[in-house]
Amino acid sequence: MNLVPDLIAVALLLSITAYSTAGGVDFGAGIWDLLAGQSARGRQARALIDHAMAPVWEVNNVWLVMAIVLCWTGFPLLFQSTFLSLYPLFALALVGLILRGAFFAFRHVADEPRSHRIADLVFGASSVLTPFFFAASLGAIASGQVGVNGPSQSVLAASFNPMSISFGLVSVAATAFSGASFLVGDARRYGAGELVGYFRRRAVAAAVVLIVMGSVALVTIGLEAPALLRSMLAGRGLPFALATMILTPLVAVLHARAIFRWYRVLTVAAVGSMVMAWGFAQSPYMLPGRLTIAQAIAPPGTQALLLIVGAGLVVVIVPAMALLYYLDQRSALDAPEA
Amino acid sequence: MTSTLWLAGESALLPSRIQMAFTLASHVLLVPLGVALPALTLLMEGIGIARNDPVALKIARRWSVVMAVQFAVGAVTGTILSFEFGILWPRMMGRFGAAIGLGFAIEGLAFFLEAIFIGIYLYGWERLPRRTHFLLGLVLVPAGLLGAFGVLSANAWMNTPGGVTLQSGRLVDVDAMAALFTHALGYEFWHFLVAIYMTAGFAVASVYAVAWLRGRRDHYQRLAFLVPFTVAAALTPFQLVIGDLSARALVGDQPAKFAAMEITWKTRDQNPEVVGGLIDDAGNVRFGLSIPVLDSLLVGYSPNAVVRGLTDFAANARPSTVEANITHLAFDAMVGLGTVGAALSAWYFWVLLRRRRLPDSRWFYRLAALSGVGCYLAVESGWVTTEVGRQPWIVYGLMRVSDAVTSAPASFVWTMLATLVVIYGLLAYFFVTLLLRLAARWRREDLQAGPAPEEGAPYGPRPARLPGVESS
Repeated sequence: MNLVPDLIAVALLLSITAYSTAGGVDFGAGIWDLLAGQSARGRQARALIDHAMAPVWEVNNVWLVMAIVLCWTGFPLLFQSTFLSLYPLFALALVGLILRGAFFAFRHVADEPRSHRIADLVFGASSVLTPFFFAASLGAIASGQVGVNGPSQSVLAASFNPMSISFGLVSVAATAFSGASFLVGDARRYGAGELVGYFRRRAVAAAVVLIVMGSVALVTIGLEAPALLRSMLAGRGLPFALATMILTPLVAVLHARAIFRWYRVLTVAAVGSMVMAWGFAQSPYMLPGRLTIAQAIAPPGTQALLLIVGAGLVVVIVPAMALLYYLDQRSALDAPEA
Repeated sequence: MTSTLWLAGESALLPSRIQMAFTLASHVLLVPLGVALPALTLLMEGIGIARNDPVALKIARRWSVVMAVQFAVGAVTGTILSFEFGILWPRMMGRFGAAIGLGFAIEGLAFFLEAIFIGIYLYGWERLPRRTHFLLGLVLVPAGLLGAFGVLSANAWMNTPGGVTLQSGRLVDVDAMAALFTHALGYEFWHFLVAIYMTAGFAVASVYAVAWLRGRRDHYQRLAFLVPFTVAAALTPFQLVIGDLSARALVGDQPAKFAAMEITWKTRDQNPEVVGGLIDDAGNVRFGLSIPVLDSLLVGYSPNAVVRGLTDFAANARPSTVEANITHLAFDAMVGLGTVGAALSAWYFWVLLRRRRLPDSRWFYRLAALSGVGCYLAVESGWVTTEVGRQPWIVYGLMRVSDAVTSAPASFVWTMLATLVVIYGLLAYFFVTLLLRLAARWRREDLQAGPAPEEGAPYGPRPARLPGVESS
């Protein structure tokens, strides 16, 4: 019926999912950087993190920019309503984002150990805060506190409530989980054998924390937004909710048993399904109970152009990403061995 | 005037405007090298391949590092900007997002392409076959053009909105092509594109002009100066023509902005051209040099050409006196800097074509060393001209800035602004330190063989082995 608007909504959800998974790996690496401490092992871990992150430094922002552009172009009313209600969350996330970028660069400039430690600390802390506040905004939307053209009660109540905080906590756990899982792969690739075990243990621990946080979030959703929970456990969100509930422990088992197969793909699938479970459970509402996809969608002329840009994205970007991935996996992009 | 000040105290209008101006002004500084440096780098690489010149390849490789680090910083400041549209101007995006967003959607596509191919280009040095590396890098040039097109299309839409059907203020239909290609895009796009290529050329060349002044006169210095400076100098005359056409087009498209640029108070013929100078609330021009009739001549090729003045527009539909003065001085600064640039370019080509060599006057290199800074100032001035000159409108004729602003309290925006100023300061400091450190290391390496140019940059190929970790 509303095929094109639904397609654009799915594209928006996919951009958010891509940022949560690809960006999440990045943020997660930052979290482990923060927790690595000053021991010799910790310093090794930090070197690996730096090494693994360098080529993708801030490039994941493309997903974030894509999500925001899709939102204001495709669903202007959703964009306005969300920002009028949740500007504190976005401002905090932005501060985290730019601090992270600045201090990642600073790590390579800092000479003195003291300023280097400060850089590590700011970089790590902002890696926790940024995903927390971005995910909190999704939780705030899910809570139903974001009304059309402004918060239903107050900006403060819309931004900081049990739902927004539990979504934020889940996302911190999820980024730590995907960060550790991918760092296992990086440690293997660079032949840092001891770090493989180091990050395997952390991936398992993070998976346990994620499962606990996810359960707490489900209870919170049940109390605060029962309709959303119903849709997650018996409606459109179910396949994705099931996927994440099965895949998260599965990845933990793979790491616990040191089975180095499929763990990265499954990590992405587990975290991605979590985001999709929320998005599909909420559909057709963009703001629960207040604004549907059909109500928020931009006029047909805009939809047509977004489809063209979307087609361009698929035709141009997918082969380009495939090329980058191919070169990276062939290690064609690493310096030749000395 | 008093009413605007009072409003500013009540709402977040004033801090929002300052914050937007501050973050945009910062981001604009990163745009010239972001869009145009890849083209210069590829030109240098092409020369290196064609002539089998290792020095040209070395220069290109070093430039590519600067390009990538600056791209990473630009990615952050650009992301901040996109969120500010929501945090500061939610009502503009809510009402017009479906139209103004089209350009940004195209820019998003370009941003994606650039991110991927900068990665491939930077990591591909000496790891991909030379020709493949060069050809893959070429994608960066159209990607940069496409990105600039998207952003300028959005800005042009704010200046000359079109392609939209409004019913009682609500956007009900969008003609995507008409909204993308509005009237102002024709001149804004070419004016800005040539401006950033000129800026990148002069800015890069100015580094090597300083090297010349310090006594470095080898093949490396010569080549690294010659290529970007020639590109920039060759573009300068075109910019004079395009700039003139742009100003002329404003007479019809955005007459209030044009009146502010020329601080014309009353509609009249035989209008003088005021160079410098300020206008007061009564319409008197103080200071400055007034050239009789010139403005009328420039606008209509006749002393009797009528030029519209600020008072032709309602007081709440034209720039305030302060805004008109800012617009006017910024416009004069841009034109003045452009004229100096044209003179410098003429000097350069005179020596190059008549004597078949590079200039050897210290004064030429002193000016060339300042040309980069001058270009950045000109770009900022041009941007101030178009943005301040549009006031009080955020979308010309359709929506005022004060109607678009967030309902957040002023204290919130002031706090955010102060935080951003501090962090941007830090970012700028780190960025400049990083570049200086790379430059110092490259200078040392020119005296002895050293590691690859990218080593030590936060954005660069990884060594195959992890430093400080034993393989197992």
